[in-house]
Amino acid sequence: MNRVDFSVLLQGDYPAMIAGGLVRMLELTLLAWVLAMVLGTLLALARMTTSRLLRALVAAWVEYHQNVPMLVQIFLWYFGIATLLPADMQFWINRHSGEFILATIAIALAMSAYVSEDLRGGIRSIPASQLEAARALGMGYLQTFRLVVLPQAFRIALPTLVNHTVLLFKGTALAMTIGVAELTYATREIESRSFQTVEIYLFTTIVYMALSLLIMAGGSMLGRRLALPGR
Amino acid sequence: MTDILTILRDFGPLLLVGQYPNGPLGGLAITFVLSVLGIALAFPLGVGLALARISPFKWLYWPATALIYLMRGVPLIMLIFWVYFFLPVLLGRPVSGFSTMLVTVAIYQASYVAEIVRAGIESLPRGQMEAARAVGLSYMQAMRKVILPQALYNMVPSMLSQFVSTIKETSLGYVISVNELTFAANQINSSLMTKPFQVFAILAGIYFVLCFSLTQCARHLEKRVARRRAGETARTAAPVAPAALPVTAE
Amino acid sequence: MTAASMIRFEAVNKWYGDYHALNAIDAEIGKGEVVVVCGPSGSGKSTLIRTVNRLEEIQQGRIFFEGQDIHAPSLNLNKFRSHVGFVFQSFNLFPHLSVAENIMLAPTTVLKRGKAEGRERAAQLLARVGLSSKVDAYPGQLSGGQQQRVAIARALAMDPPAMLFDEPTSALDPEMVGEVLQVMKALARDGMTMMCVTHEMNFAREVADRVWFMDQGRIVETGSPEGFFSNPQSDRARKFLSDLRSH
Repeated sequence: MNRVDFSVLLQGDYPAMIAGGLVRMLELTLLAWVLAMVLGTLLALARMTTSRLLRALVAAWVEYHQNVPMLVQIFLWYFGIATLLPADMQFWINRHSGEFILATIAIALAMSAYVSEDLRGGIRSIPASQLEAARALGMGYLQTFRLVVLPQAFRIALPTLVNHTVLLFKGTALAMTIGVAELTYATREIESRSFQTVEIYLFTTIVYMALSLLIMAGGSMLGRRLALPGR
Repeated sequence: MTDILTILRDFGPLLLVGQYPNGPLGGLAITFVLSVLGIALAFPLGVGLALARISPFKWLYWPATALIYLMRGVPLIMLIFWVYFFLPVLLGRPVSGFSTMLVTVAIYQASYVAEIVRAGIESLPRGQMEAARAVGLSYMQAMRKVILPQALYNMVPSMLSQFVSTIKETSLGYVISVNELTFAANQINSSLMTKPFQVFAILAGIYFVLCFSLTQCARHLEKRVARRRAGETARTAAPVAPAALPVTAE
Repeated sequence: MTAASMIRFEAVNKWYGDYHALNAIDAEIGKGEVVVVCGPSGSGKSTLIRTVNRLEEIQQGRIFFEGQDIHAPSLNLNKFRSHVGFVFQSFNLFPHLSVAENIMLAPTTVLKRGKAEGRERAAQLLARVGLSSKVDAYPGQLSGGQQQRVAIARALAMDPPAMLFDEPTSALDPEMVGEVLQVMKALARDGMTMMCVTHEMNFAREVADRVWFMDQGRIVETGSPEGFFSNPQSDRARKFLSDLRSH
């Protein structure tokens, strides 16, 4: 096997491709994450209401997104649902990086199911007495949720939320299958053009590893900062 | 809706078994074979990794830990590309997409199985290992005869969950043209062209039915195991940590 | 109804399925009165006190608070509850908030008071319960007795006309019971209307105006503390007191 030579990555427009891929990957991750967290929180809240229909719908949402592979979900959105949209919407989407938008939506919705389950677990582990105390003070339902339940539930759910954030981050690589020019896509492009597989693969692997570890480390740090002082 | 029924009627066999018997096996059958073989291989690998992780020997601990972090930190699709490129180089001969997927999935799942096994072992009361050593069993004998059998029972629901994850992961075989379910669906879509939503809805539906039923089994088993463990805890009065639920991968 | 009635139960009945938890309760607590409710476990005393702020609902009868029917459809439940102080057996402080934040939470979010005002009031109340130094501590750093005193301060922060205590010292280690009772006695002497479910007979003797003895969902006997403790009328009360003393 030939010697590994990373300098090949600096040739031609490879640096630009890598940089573009990195940016795309980060954009995808951030956007999908924010969407997933917001939606996941709303879903967790919806699951706590008295409406049986709403609770059943959320349960169905969660089950669907957890039992269908993320790749298939991306395909369904990009090849399937996109074609059902009204023509002018499809036109607009195609003019504005449609594959990026649809990949973001697919990944965000998939992860929203996990986020809502994580929060649900956190919420369930809060004793009913906390709710009673808040209600006894005259606090309304939403106030209780916002000020008493959610802060505690979030702390409890933090480790699993961090795990799922890493999962979301890794999931962005799947967007390459529909042509989103993120890091893995760029990696394959460079491989096919330069035939220097090991260098670009190693580079990309290191990037993914580093960022995953960063997310996990960030999560631990956050956990420590939020930890409640004990005796 | 009638579209969906038509597609199922016309392409059902392709989705389910590929071109068999007029050609190689494909579709859902391959997905199934890949998943079963994958988890079957992942299991002994995972046990080995788990033992390496709890062993005091640094030369076992660090490589195992490094592998697990690698599997956790890198997207599966990237790992597939690695194995696709590297395995033929290693073996000196071309390797089929199927074999590539099998190896990748087995190693990937092994790292999750390792954590499940480790949690399962550590959730047993310490007294078990102590009692086994006290009667004179060696460490490995104690592991094989006393610890692992009990830990494995506790792990069955988690293993079932990992099996579901494996099924979902096989969908990535598509990117290296392995003729599994997702690949078959894409083929159908390419030939039909006009009904993409229906085709992919069917695809999602098949995965959903398969994975959801298995997940429900796992949940049912989890309750049974928890009930049995509660009984044991009451008797031995030792704190039992709940088996870590696996982080379901793609 | 007496002019200065604070809490009034009128033919109150409650069932849990077939189990008759509260049986024909007719009773009244006047303004400034301190009533101790005692009885064997399962007698319904906790259930009774929890009906006053509707943590438990009733199937029959009416309950009046400051002359108002608390089950009237026009009643705003949250507003009403903010007007009734409730202290739980297991304190139920919010662990993710500091002591001051625990006390300030309801006044700022429900009564819409300002933060500075809330903090000042919290400091005053903490001084009143003897915990000025713990203003920024977290519940996890406090002992049970300290937590319960903070819980009392938290309830007082809403300036309620009456305070309900549901077995406030039952979850405490014996050496901490005294500090909580001290706060409650001071409250009573300051003229607060109090309904206390408790086993602490000495507390009852010192500050209670009346004792209600409950058994199997009924108020079996009422009387002044001295009267009840030295000369219980009913057999069940006699048995209860002798069981209590034999500890």
